[in-house]
Amino acid sequence: MFAVGVRVAALALVALVAALVLGWSPLVPVSLVMLGAVYVSQLSLDDAALDGASPVFAAGLYLTAELGYWSLEERECAAREPGDGPRRLAFVATLGLATLLVAAALLVLVDAVRARGLAVDVVGAAAAAAALLAVVLLARRKPES
Amino acid sequence: MTRGGSPRIEGYATVAAVGLVAALALRRPELAIVSAPFALVLAIGTRFARDPRVEVDFTLEAERTLEGSDVSAEIVLRAETAVDRLELALARPRGLEILEDVDTFAVRLRADDEPAIPLRLSCSRWGVYDVGEIEVRAHDRFRLVVWRERFQQTHRLKAYPRPESVRRILAPIETQAFTGSEVARVKGDGIEYADIRDFVPGDRVRSINWRASARRQGLVVNERHPERNTDVVLFVDSFADVQGEDRSTLDDAVRAAATLAARYLERRDRVGLVAFGGILRWLQPGIGMRQRFRLIETLLETGVEPTYTWRDVNVIPARILPPKALVIALTPLVDPRFVTAVEDLRARGFDLVTIEVDPVGVVEAGRSPVEALAYRLWLLEREVLRNRLERLGVAVAQWGDDVSLEAALEGVRTYRRYARIARV
Repeated sequence: MFAVGVRVAALALVALVAALVLGWSPLVPVSLVMLGAVYVSQLSLDDAALDGASPVFAAGLYLTAELGYWSLEERECAAREPGDGPRRLAFVATLGLATLLVAAALLVLVDAVRARGLAVDVVGAAAAAAALLAVVLLARRKPES
Repeated sequence: MTRGGSPRIEGYATVAAVGLVAALALRRPELAIVSAPFALVLAIGTRFARDPRVEVDFTLEAERTLEGSDVSAEIVLRAETAVDRLELALARPRGLEILEDVDTFAVRLRADDEPAIPLRLSCSRWGVYDVGEIEVRAHDRFRLVVWRERFQQTHRLKAYPRPESVRRILAPIETQAFTGSEVARVKGDGIEYADIRDFVPGDRVRSINWRASARRQGLVVNERHPERNTDVVLFVDSFADVQGEDRSTLDDAVRAAATLAARYLERRDRVGLVAFGGILRWLQPGIGMRQRFRLIETLLETGVEPTYTWRDVNVIPARILPPKALVIALTPLVDPRFVTAVEDLRARGFDLVTIEVDPVGVVEAGRSPVEALAYRLWLLEREVLRNRLERLGVAVAQWGDDVSLEAALEGVRTYRRYARIARV
């Protein structure tokens, strides 16, 4: 299982590098999902009830995504204002920290509420579907002007 | 502005969806924790993204410039709302360069900001450029939403051809009736000494050459050459343009035409223009600064318009080609229609000079033996054509990579020193 994890991680790295080199953004989520698969394999190896390192992984994954997309945006060779890079870096770092905190809070919440059963699964699935639907609807919102 | 999603939206939505579904399927809450920040950023970012209100103005310092020179321009922005990142991409017509070496400029705007972005533009080729089409992309703070709009504030920038270095220009064989700077071959009132002859009643006393009269024991008067103007018609071949990586025969021809026109007009000669090609353009001979600008503006419109119709010089209005005019043909000698027109003009008795804008340096010989053979045949055909024109009394000067326009004109002068118009 460990060997499979290493191979998938290598593939994820290749996909991310290819996305950055070729400038093809759809490869970024592919590499992120592969990294998630590596994390799943790690969880199955550890066999712990709840992984305490998941907030760190969440923050790392989010930072990887942000930095990857940022790198793709910079390919257009735009003449920037002075201080634009550090300002963006600070914002991304803040988002990474916020991700860590939110994930830690969720971990604490999950640890506190250890309910099981079909009803919880249905509620979870409905919440996931609703969240995605909300995101899609918000993203497709018509412009105001 | 048109609102759309950035690639981040698809990516984050994919990661969030896969993570949440996997968490349910594998019964691992950690996966939901990992994917939750992505969904949260999507929700917050898309919910709080406000449509930006930005106005863009484009100003150009000058409407006319010289090929290769800089022109300052400015993009002025007026923001009613704050924009975290505004990208401005100025559309560049072919031949127009931004000296800052970037196509896209990114700025951050606060509400009520009015920043100005200075630019320096350069035209690598003469011509007319429409500048001012700007594509604007605005991004929100999370870079999830992109607003796009295209601003069209077109300004017309005219890049005049760069002058070639020419010290001496060609003198026509015959001059016109008006006063100018060219010493006429005929005798009359002027400054340049021509000859002496016996005094006849009616000659002015001031014309008497007293020294010669004392030696010949009879009155002798000086004869002089008058200074007259000339008519010059620039006959530009716009049937074909042989283009290389950094050279084009039409560009060179127009550059030479503009240079010659300026030099002749400085001498108070009348200069006309015929751009003979798919579209026939002409300008009646005239003098002065206004004529110079008219000529250049007409030259700027010159381009190759593909046509298969046969054209001869009959389509040129007679007033454009005045008698005794020096016709200077600027051509790469690749289109038979133009060569025939040159031969027709010569047959009609015009004082004709052909400046061959040499396309040989632009055309590659090819690698295969067949291509090399075809190239050699083409060179031989050109040689034959040149000889044919010279046999007709047309001076042909080759102007190319290794020969300057000045040297080419000197070659014409040498030819014309020995060749004379033969009327049979």
